[in-house]
Amino acid sequence: MIGTLPRRRFRIEPYVEFAKRAIMREATYRFDVFTSIASFAIRLYLLKTVWTALYAHNPAPQELSLPAILTYSTVALLMGLVMDIDQTRALHERLREGSIATDFMKPISVPLYFFAEGTGEVLFHAVLMLPSLVIALFLVHVDVPGPAALAAFALSFLIGYLVGFCINFILNCTAFWTLEISAGQMIVTWVSDLLGGELIPLVLFPPALQAVVETLPFAAMFSTPLLIYVGTIGPDEYLRAFASQVFWFVLLAGISTLMWRAGAKRVVVQGG
Amino acid sequence: MAIIETVELRKVFRSIVRSPGIAGAVRALFSREYEEKVAVDSVTMTLAEGELVGYLGPNGAGKSTTIKMLTGILVPTSGAIKVAGVVPHRNRQANAANIGVVFGQRSQLYWDLPLRESFELLRSIYDVPRDRYRQNMAHFSEILGLDEFMGTPVRQLSLGERMRGDFAAALLHDPKIVYLDEPTIGLDVEAKEAIREFVGRINRERGTTVILTTHDLADVERLSKRIILIDEGTVIYDGTLARLRTEYGTHRTLVVTLAETYEEFAVEGGEIESREGNIVKLRFNQRRLSAETMIRRLLDRYSVSDIAIIEPEIESIVRRIYREGYNESAVGSPS
Repeated sequence: MIGTLPRRRFRIEPYVEFAKRAIMREATYRFDVFTSIASFAIRLYLLKTVWTALYAHNPAPQELSLPAILTYSTVALLMGLVMDIDQTRALHERLREGSIATDFMKPISVPLYFFAEGTGEVLFHAVLMLPSLVIALFLVHVDVPGPAALAAFALSFLIGYLVGFCINFILNCTAFWTLEISAGQMIVTWVSDLLGGELIPLVLFPPALQAVVETLPFAAMFSTPLLIYVGTIGPDEYLRAFASQVFWFVLLAGISTLMWRAGAKRVVVQGG
Repeated sequence: MAIIETVELRKVFRSIVRSPGIAGAVRALFSREYEEKVAVDSVTMTLAEGELVGYLGPNGAGKSTTIKMLTGILVPTSGAIKVAGVVPHRNRQANAANIGVVFGQRSQLYWDLPLRESFELLRSIYDVPRDRYRQNMAHFSEILGLDEFMGTPVRQLSLGERMRGDFAAALLHDPKIVYLDEPTIGLDVEAKEAIREFVGRINRERGTTVILTTHDLADVERLSKRIILIDEGTVIYDGTLARLRTEYGTHRTLVVTLAETYEEFAVEGGEIESREGNIVKLRFNQRRLSAETMIRRLLDRYSVSDIAIIEPEIESIVRRIYREGYNESAVGSPS
């Protein structure tokens, strides 16, 4: 009979501990820290060279001047330090190893556990943004917008992060059925790199392609916050931009929930 | 008082029928044809609080499936199940707080972090009071010798060290029940002994109920009085080890060292198992003949320098039951 027992009191403490342990684990791979900062610097230098050369030999598009696009690229790379992490990869790893069973044997909410793990990992990498920013300031000139635009950018970045989280979570959930997700993940990474505006601002795309991009969630991850930062999306368009991001977040969060339920049910009925 | 109770517990897995090849794989995407596999057919058992029970069966008999249902991560197809007053799959988290689990083949420790960190994490997951945590850690460290490798990342531990860590991890929150799934697999003799000693002490001193599945019957002989044998998803024996031995161990063996060399050697009622030089192994049915009669017959005809009696090994008894099935009528008949 359900309800014969008092509901277990929810405690946040274990999830904070999960996040802390994830930070500690990431910190044990110190070499990764240096390579990721070094790769940031190299990519930034390459982007600067390519954009400068392109702008020198072509008429500048009216949407973005050269300083604006360099700012755009730098901020995009900084965002990428956090956004390009697959926070929920622990889910598919544990499904593949079969160790998800031991997670279900603990008095915890399993999806919250993965969320906490991912948050810890992301927080650790967010710390890397600081030294990377210092390096960036030596390499390129970065414009800083006014406080209103900066605040709007921060909010938009946060929603974009949540959209990215859901996309990763959905991908990792497919491992409930397939165990392996690398092929699907590679395709999504290609598409989102290209159509999310991380590398090339979407405003520079031909109009037909831009129309396609608008029907996809990827622009909500990079393009929207970045265009707010560089001012292409002005204050009067903020609300519309947020609304579209929130739309994607709600839709993808719904899909995530359904995927998780179906997957977890499969584990308890089929034994994983 | 019963702490674990299952009644006609049953689990059937369904999988989509798939014909071989790519065409088969594609067809399987649309197929609604299922294949059913009965993993656990009917398991009824009752465990009293503080019992230590060996749960045995050949590979694929349904041991792990039963354990998974008891832990609440698998929903039974039918039948009733109650563990410490909780229906595990309905109240997974409440049940999880009552149990500890050790898998010989799988660790619940944090791979990349020092062992100590895993314990700290478990402390917070199970909300173990600090005092109790310190006491338990001190106690486990002493028995299991954890101090030597508390600061070592789990991935660098030897299998024996890791298993000791896993045992401490499973018992840190004073669970009422522990499930041990092949806990000594792959361990050397010394480590096996340390683990057995630990399980025995926990069961005796804390009154923890233990279900132990294993292929190493020495674990069971050493630790449990009661065993439950399962085959093809059904309980085929539930009782003491001693009863199984007397009912099923129909034969004993005399190991005889002859003082002289004899060309011919035969004893009425004895079957020669092997003969190497002057050492003869003589098997006899203990239901028909007493050891005394056998020895007297032997000594009447031969000059003997040494005699030893070998009891039937539980391992060979269990192997025979897996092969032939358990039935009461087999008792007393010659094999």
